Amino acid sequence: MNKQQLSRIDRIMDLLVEEIEERMQVRRQPVPPPPPTALALEPEGGPQQPVAPPPELQPEEELEEPGSGLEPEAAPEVEPWREFPGPSHAARLMGRMALGLLVAIVLINIPINRHGTTLATAMPSSAALVFVDGLVVKEENAEEIYVYQDGRFRWISSLDAFEHFGFTWGDVRVVEDGFLERYEIGPPIHVLLKCQSSPHIYRLEGGEKRWIRDIAAFEAEGHVWEDVRFVSCSYLRSLPDGETIPPGVGPPPQP
Amino acid sequence: MNHMAIIETILRNRRRFFIEIRDGVELAPKMRAMLVSSIIFFALYGAVMGSTHSLWQALSSAAKLPVLFLATLVVCSPTLYFFNLIFGSNQSLMQNFALILTAIVVTAVLLLSFAPIVLFFLLTTSHYQFFKLLNVGVFAIAGIVGVLFLTQGMGVVSAGGKEGASARRTVVRLWILIYAFVGSQMAWTLRPFIGAPSMEFELFRQLGGNFYANILVSIGEILGFVTVR
Repeated sequence: MNKQQLSRIDRIMDLLVEEIEERMQVRRQPVPPPPPTALALEPEGGPQQPVAPPPELQPEEELEEPGSGLEPEAAPEVEPWREFPGPSHAARLMGRMALGLLVAIVLINIPINRHGTTLATAMPSSAALVFVDGLVVKEENAEEIYVYQDGRFRWISSLDAFEHFGFTWGDVRVVEDGFLERYEIGPPIHVLLKCQSSPHIYRLEGGEKRWIRDIAAFEAEGHVWEDVRFVSCSYLRSLPDGETIPPGVGPPPQP
Repeated sequence: MNHMAIIETILRNRRRFFIEIRDGVELAPKMRAMLVSSIIFFALYGAVMGSTHSLWQALSSAAKLPVLFLATLVVCSPTLYFFNLIFGSNQSLMQNFALILTAIVVTAVLLLSFAPIVLFFLLTTSHYQFFKLLNVGVFAIAGIVGVLFLTQGMGVVSAGGKEGASARRTVVRLWILIYAFVGSQMAWTLRPFIGAPSMEFELFRQLGGNFYANILVSIGEILGFVTVR
């Protein structure tokens, strides 16, 4: 068989399926009561019944089907598109589901406390944190920001350090208060500041600059050159002096 | 509920539905029903997605998700129509439009059916990347089933055309790829739909990056390889 024959057979099959479906649906429909004028079809010789007056028809109906009652066996014209008589189970379910979903959306977006927390946003965000180096967290009502490194959380001691190490506010995951108590806290992360025209290096700590006396002190504190951030000398001078590193070596030199 | 009955016909008796599209039987009411239903279903699913961030995000996503699909439909329909025309199709643009709309409404119905599951995860977990990938998965499943309907519909509707049937099948397959690319880029342009928890609500985010790179990074973070910055 070639493709053309196949296509024709396919179309014939389609028509057959359609016809069967239509007949099945017609059979499923309840039989309508015979119209009053059908009394004329009574068997001959039967008792003569008074003819009931025909029901009042709208003018349009009369115009459209003037002899419908006289031709009860005439096949109704098959409509090209016949929908289900009413919403069936799946359609009803879809409608109800949509409605239920709408109600659920409204409910989960209603604030449940004075902070505006809704059911949809009530789950603490720490519940599904992935602990990898570089994870930055902040407790909800605390200002300190910590970064996860080598199995410990380390406090980022200043905004300079935060920026120096390339973090952004978008990195910060807000967690519930007390979250960090469950984990080991490592040494804080400081940034070292230096300006171009000065040989001195300072460690920014608690808003104060702490002069690092020499290379030995630098290395003893575990710093590396990558920790050094270059800033302007005027900014460095504007920072208040803190205790030197190591402590007690006299007044620190100014940059 | 008339619209719902038409949608049910698509799901239960799609062959008949496609034959009627082929014969051009009452295309306008069918298309209206599909359009209205898909807008409602997409809006509901969008609202579920956005609820994870805020009420504003829910409203924004409810408006943007129907726009995403319908804009993709408008952008991609002429390509399918003209390529089919070149390869001997006798369908009208309206018939093409109705067929693609069928795929979209199937996608919308499936998204609606997935909505309770997504809602469940929304209430029980707060991991942004997981939620994002969950939605990508849901969209992928719904989209694939939708385009399967389209392929099937195209087969039925263009069965009458004698010339270039195999070429038209190839055109449909290639068009589905284009549709996926355009759709993903449209989604990237209209983002955010979920809203990163650490960021304030924004109607549209700055362009930059692309959909596929972002999904790979999300998978990386879920598996613990990278931290998204």
